[in-house]
Amino acid sequence: VRCQQYPPLRALQASAALRRASDEHKKEPLTSSSQQHFDSPPAGHQPEQEPQGPRPSYTGHGGQESEDYESEEQLQHRILTAALEFVPEHGWTAEAIAEGAKTLGLSVAAAGMFHSDGSELILHFVSECNARLSELLEKEQKLVQLGEAEKKPIDEFLRHAVEARLRMLIPYIEKWPQALSVLLLPRNIPSSLNLLTSMIDDIWHYAGDQSTDFNWYTRRAVLTGIYNTTELVMMQDSSPDFEDTWRFLENRVADAMAMSNTASQVQSTGEAVVQGLMGAAVTVSN
Amino acid sequence: ALLSRPAGGLRARRGLAAGPEMHFGFQTVTEEERREKIYQVFESVAKKYDLMNDSMTLGIHRVWKDILMHKMNPSPGTLLLDVAGGTGDIAFRFINYVRSVRECQLQRKLKHHQNLSWQEIFESYQKDKSNSLGDSQVVVCDINREMLKVGKQKAQHLGYSEGLSWVLGNAEELPFDNDKFDVYTIAFGIRNVTRIDLALQEAYRVLKPGGRFLCLEFSHVSNRLLSRLYDLYSFQVIPVLGEVIAGDWKSYQYLVESIRRFPPQEELKAMIEDVGFFKVDYENLNFGIVAIHSGFKL
Repeated sequence: VRCQQYPPLRALQASAALRRASDEHKKEPLTSSSQQHFDSPPAGHQPEQEPQGPRPSYTGHGGQESEDYESEEQLQHRILTAALEFVPEHGWTAEAIAEGAKTLGLSVAAAGMFHSDGSELILHFVSECNARLSELLEKEQKLVQLGEAEKKPIDEFLRHAVEARLRMLIPYIEKWPQALSVLLLPRNIPSSLNLLTSMIDDIWHYAGDQSTDFNWYTRRAVLTGIYNTTELVMMQDSSPDFEDTWRFLENRVADAMAMSNTASQVQSTGEAVVQGLMGAAVTVSN
Repeated sequence: ALLSRPAGGLRARRGLAAGPEMHFGFQTVTEEERREKIYQVFESVAKKYDLMNDSMTLGIHRVWKDILMHKMNPSPGTLLLDVAGGTGDIAFRFINYVRSVRECQLQRKLKHHQNLSWQEIFESYQKDKSNSLGDSQVVVCDINREMLKVGKQKAQHLGYSEGLSWVLGNAEELPFDNDKFDVYTIAFGIRNVTRIDLALQEAYRVLKPGGRFLCLEFSHVSNRLLSRLYDLYSFQVIPVLGEVIAGDWKSYQYLVESIRRFPPQEELKAMIEDVGFFKVDYENLNFGIVAIHSGFKL
């Protein structure tokens, strides 16, 4: 539950009216759109705390609240989603956001709601990609549970997940280096790091990793390393369908598997050493 | 002499005419009288307006206006309404900004057009050359004829002709249709509007959905030491400068008093929200001497 900054949650009237006009326009293509704009009363639910200002009140349209109520956040999401279409041409910039706002029927000035370096657009895109990845992995897990597909061995699963996630970058690959540099700005690091770690956690979760010991951190770190390096290789890859990148990915995952064997060997050696030291300490104290 | 604030001052302070009493600086007047007095103030200072701005603020007002333009970050194709824009400072900055953004855009397009035929390049070059502003336009609206006159002269002198129009109008009752403009600005003007709430309503009306409201205005300094220095400067130095440079003590006394009477940042923010703007926020410049309020019609 997110707390709104302004206590009275007001419905967005102007954009809601725009949406209703465009929705009705789709249903009844014969009637002129301008007529509909005046006929359809602007949706709006005015909570009682609203001061009795000079603005006309729209109370009384109670039945339409739930359909047309949209928060600022939702509108911002819609604008950013619409803006993605213009990223290949304009890059991750306020211009792309302005074009996106235009397609929704809003003024280009709406891009002023966002930072001029396009941070929010990139973060929005990353979180959308992560959501799509989760959905994909969820669906595949269901198939395995229903017995309609075989459970993949861990290295193949990781390769598949990372490749699926990186493929989502392909339409924007030209401008992705720019996006990476913006994500590394100090201001954006908390959010971008957060998104990255939750994506990695997701992949491990669906890979069947249930461990809660220190191995969890190493596995997270290892997969993050694999993902980041593969991403960078992809930026410079010009092979058909990025086959060089996927081969690089295969090698890195294989390395990681080999390393984990070494790691467990080191761990058992380490445990043995610790036990030896404890024994020595006990002997000395006695 | 500074009069003590009259009893009706609190309501008058918010710009709502609860009764016929209003404030003109620290005096109490009726609404009509206030409009007239303010008109006379600007009529008399119009010719020396820019000079006085520079001397009073030591040229810093230019930086404030530049910051406003950067905050707006207009893209080519934006339709701007600059209210109380009198001598055209904001309008000229807008044109410069949009022109340079457009040039960058065109350069980028050229880089992409590496594999077009000569004919195609020539045609697109012609089209873009004649559209150096990218269809952006600014309408300067002011209630005072003298200020508009000075603005038009300046425009001619500096060579601004394209994308610029001058309209005589009252901020409380704008002569424009609904949903017309992408951005509405009012720089150092809203303080002089008699009914601020009406001006804000009109701003909401003429903006397109998604449009932005920007207000640059003197505001309240919270830092106590700075506030005292600022008061000293305002009441002792500025009217004197007014007399020496513009030959008009009273107008600049009014200016300084009107700044003190204007609602502080949070109150103005609340007024803007009341009218229906969303994502209303303000940015203090120079510790609150000046503030930029921004809101969106969503």
